[in-house]
Amino acid sequence: MSLRYHWNVNLLGRIAPRLLRWQTEWRMRAGSGWKSDVLAPPLRISARNKELIARHYLKGRYANLRHKVAWVTSGAPVELLKALDFYVLYPENHGALCGTARVVEEIASEAENAGYSRDICSYARTDIGSLLSNKTPVGKLPRPDLLLACTNICQTVLYWYRVLAHHFDVPLILIDTPFIYTVTAGHAEVADHAVAFVQRQLEEAVPVAERVAGRRLDERKLKEIGQLSKAASQLWMEILERNKHRPAPISVFDQFIQMAPVVEMRGDGATVDFYAAMLQEVDRRIAQGVGVVQDERQRLLWDNLPVWYRLRYLAEFLGQHSVAIVASTYTNAWGELAELIDPERPFASMARTYIYPILNRGAGDKLATMEWMIGEYHLDGVILHSDRSCKPYSIGQMDQRDRLSKRGVPALLLEADHSDPRSFSEEQVANRLATFVEML
Amino acid sequence: MKYPLIPRRSEVIHSHKQRGAIVAAVLPVHYPRALLRAFDVIPVEVWGPPAVDASYKTTHLQPYVCSIVQNALSFLQAGGLDPVDLIVVPHACDTLQGLGSILIDFVAPRQPVLPIYIPRGERESDVVFLADEFRALYRRLEEITGRAPSETELAASIRREEEADALLGQLHRQRRQLPLTNRGFYHLIRSREYLPAETFTELAQAMTEQVTETTQNGVPILLSGIVPEPMSVLDALAEIGGMLVADDMACCGRRLYPVGASAPTGRRPQGESDDPFRRMAERILHAPPDSTRGSPVQERLDHLLRLARESGARGVVFYNVKFCEPELFYIPGLRRGLQDAGIPSVVIEVDIGDPLSHQTSTRLEAFLEMLT
Amino acid sequence: MSEIQALGIDVGSTTAKIVGVDAEGDMLWHLLEPTDPRIENQVERFLDRAREATLPLDSVPLVATGYGRKLVRQATRRVTEITCHAQGVYRELQRGGTLVDIGGQDSKTIRIGPDGNVLDFVMNDKCAAGTGRFLENTAGRLGVELDQIGGLALSVAEEASISSTCTVFAETEVISLIAHGVSVAAILRGLHRSLIKRIVAMIRTVGLTPPLMLSGGVVRNPAIRRMLEEETGERVILPRYPQLMGAYGAALFALEIEGEHL
Repeated sequence: MSLRYHWNVNLLGRIAPRLLRWQTEWRMRAGSGWKSDVLAPPLRISARNKELIARHYLKGRYANLRHKVAWVTSGAPVELLKALDFYVLYPENHGALCGTARVVEEIASEAENAGYSRDICSYARTDIGSLLSNKTPVGKLPRPDLLLACTNICQTVLYWYRVLAHHFDVPLILIDTPFIYTVTAGHAEVADHAVAFVQRQLEEAVPVAERVAGRRLDERKLKEIGQLSKAASQLWMEILERNKHRPAPISVFDQFIQMAPVVEMRGDGATVDFYAAMLQEVDRRIAQGVGVVQDERQRLLWDNLPVWYRLRYLAEFLGQHSVAIVASTYTNAWGELAELIDPERPFASMARTYIYPILNRGAGDKLATMEWMIGEYHLDGVILHSDRSCKPYSIGQMDQRDRLSKRGVPALLLEADHSDPRSFSEEQVANRLATFVEML
Repeated sequence: MKYPLIPRRSEVIHSHKQRGAIVAAVLPVHYPRALLRAFDVIPVEVWGPPAVDASYKTTHLQPYVCSIVQNALSFLQAGGLDPVDLIVVPHACDTLQGLGSILIDFVAPRQPVLPIYIPRGERESDVVFLADEFRALYRRLEEITGRAPSETELAASIRREEEADALLGQLHRQRRQLPLTNRGFYHLIRSREYLPAETFTELAQAMTEQVTETTQNGVPILLSGIVPEPMSVLDALAEIGGMLVADDMACCGRRLYPVGASAPTGRRPQGESDDPFRRMAERILHAPPDSTRGSPVQERLDHLLRLARESGARGVVFYNVKFCEPELFYIPGLRRGLQDAGIPSVVIEVDIGDPLSHQTSTRLEAFLEMLT
Repeated sequence: MSEIQALGIDVGSTTAKIVGVDAEGDMLWHLLEPTDPRIENQVERFLDRAREATLPLDSVPLVATGYGRKLVRQATRRVTEITCHAQGVYRELQRGGTLVDIGGQDSKTIRIGPDGNVLDFVMNDKCAAGTGRFLENTAGRLGVELDQIGGLALSVAEEASISSTCTVFAETEVISLIAHGVSVAAILRGLHRSLIKRIVAMIRTVGLTPPLMLSGGVVRNPAIRRMLEEETGERVILPRYPQLMGAYGAALFALEIEGEHL
């Protein structure tokens, strides 16, 4: 058993993804990839991204042989599990991958035929469809020994993970993060008893995770991972902030692709190295005056999740109109709380870090964040993706759009879904975007 | 046979306002009635129709938002807020989270909007948190009303609610022996949503005296969902020979709160809780399994199977409000479990406030034909 | 002719049917017409014609089913089309299985048990996709007669892929395909595929217990049966009168009613 793991993960598992990266880099030098006369050539770092992701999922294929496996929500305090040497899988990332690979319709149908309504989140339908049919574009997903769900992004993950717990018959650790309704105008403030609640849940999660892992939590390891998490988040934030520059060196679409490591491999050393390299590439672009949109005339904010299956289409359409999307409340979420991480006080700081993500803050606070970003990044307008699958993000957007417009910031509400193309109307979107762009 | 007269919602609000009491509009699902009543605040639940002006619906909420929230917001904006002094928005799902947020940040009515976060576990940490959440609510109510009920007054208020809920539970169990139609029964039990506990207790007491020896006829059905709206579904079921004998509705059966000193189990604290805030928290967190509290699937299934067994229900109607994600996630697992136990089920989807569609009636009829 | 002992009327949204059965439950007589919005008049006309076909009619029980069943005053009883279709098909084909009924405006899948009882059912009645209306609307764009579309779709191997699940968006897609010069036959084939995929999803939801059976007006289209067999890998069997199964089942229920009469 161990030999199989060693062979596939440590040998082949290092070589194959590295080869993939070299091949991608070679192709990029040869000029293939996004052929576009309005957009800058693709980031070289994406080859390295491919390698990391490929390696992550390859490891996943054999993970049950060597590790205890945990499935976690995107906002979960994963540092605890990494310190216990869990292999960590993010069904949401897998869902995003299926979205970009355009296989959601096929996989989600398996869940729909089993009775799961199309009115539930498309990430959940993809995940449930995948586990019912074993269909996945990444070969094979490891079975979980433990589930960890944190409600800081939505309540949907809780119902979803209850279904997973029922299906796999494994323990579910719940970290319930009370929602922060705006207390003072435009500024979210969390109550002490809520922070205490989250901290207690984190502390009580440890023995459960230890029992499944079959080992004790090493405080030093946790601290180390905390430091790596913080470093990765801070680097990510720096990269995002480089987009204040005019022209912006990267687009939000680049950010959507390159954020995968900080979401699903946070706490790894390789992730820190990755973003350090990406920051260097971004700085080189700035030095050379390279803008992601070659003739950048308008700069926009993207609110809510990406439309995973139409990234290229949107980038090119907008690029052709000299519009660059340079900032997003979504990608910002993985950097804005870096300051709260304190590796010396893991549980106390995790309690705050995991209670404060933007999706756990009120609609007024979200608007305030958008307005702040519009100022900081010198933005000319906002596209609000009204994501059918993501109610916590989408509800409130109509008011946000109205208020932005009233303050003279053009704002477009775009109805779609983050990974299910059946909720995307090509015609409608094209019309709305065209009209909006004319408005700018 | 004398049926006790059930006061109407509007009458109740009016008479309370006349004597100077404060009226709170309350959204779904769980909230501490005892706490509000101790401040002489009358909670009136805004879950279903009255008829709302549809033109308000599209201003703040996208079309994929459920009709419970759409209707509630429309109602509040169309003048429903006028007699109300206070709005309480418990956190029962992402959509209600959004509603609370929109009310506080964007609609900003003159009435204070008080959100309450209901924790999603049943651990000691959840109880402690919820008790603290109620203490924070106490402080807000104190600011707003100028009153400060003592612990004794809180305890007395809790006892009154416990008494009313105990009778409510009894009515549910005696359903088949009560000379009431489906609609009559629900009209009675839903008066709990706006009547003061003491008034409901009298009403319920009078009704339990009407229990007969005979069991009502009809194909016994268990209804599971959020609210039985439009209420015409109850008539429709009766017309085709169906009788609702068991209830797993969020507004009814899932709010049969146990007495604070629930029968101790392995994971629940033993003995009576002296701390009124803790007691109120325990009552809610130890309520029957509920999707809006994120209960485990198996617990919900076990509960449904037990309800079916005890009531003799032969089939389950999942009566779902369109777009209600909490319910939609559980339904397939529950249906499978029920099927394994030989209990057929059907899923009906509705927009509350719309009349029952022909398709819905046909589905219900076909389902009943299946059971007979 | 032996006497009609029981009658069943199926008032669908597109067509109205009446079936008369003898004491053994064999089909003796039937009529089919487009549904008249004045349903009561239509039912009277049907009964008049029934009187011509047999005497006496006074003691013959009538069961009404279908969309307009509640408007049939003369009915002794009303039973839903789900239960009636199951009954009719079971009697016809002598076995349980999975029945798919594709009507003009709705479609349903019914799992029938070995005794002819309904085990489970799924109705698609909110949305035109998955019903005859889908083909009517989209094929209408192509200017092909409805009774030709099946044959034309089967006549080619090339198939245009229609990605929209919604009828309205699909129509737009068809226009776009025409503009790009895709052949009518290929588009038709794609549209049929779309419909079949929706049907298959319904079948998978309720669970496929062979054999797979088809009923409803739309099944006269040869492409429907062929493509359904292709998609599911199952043999698909049709009753002799696919459109009359609801009325037939209703008549069989009427036969069970004793002592009640018009």
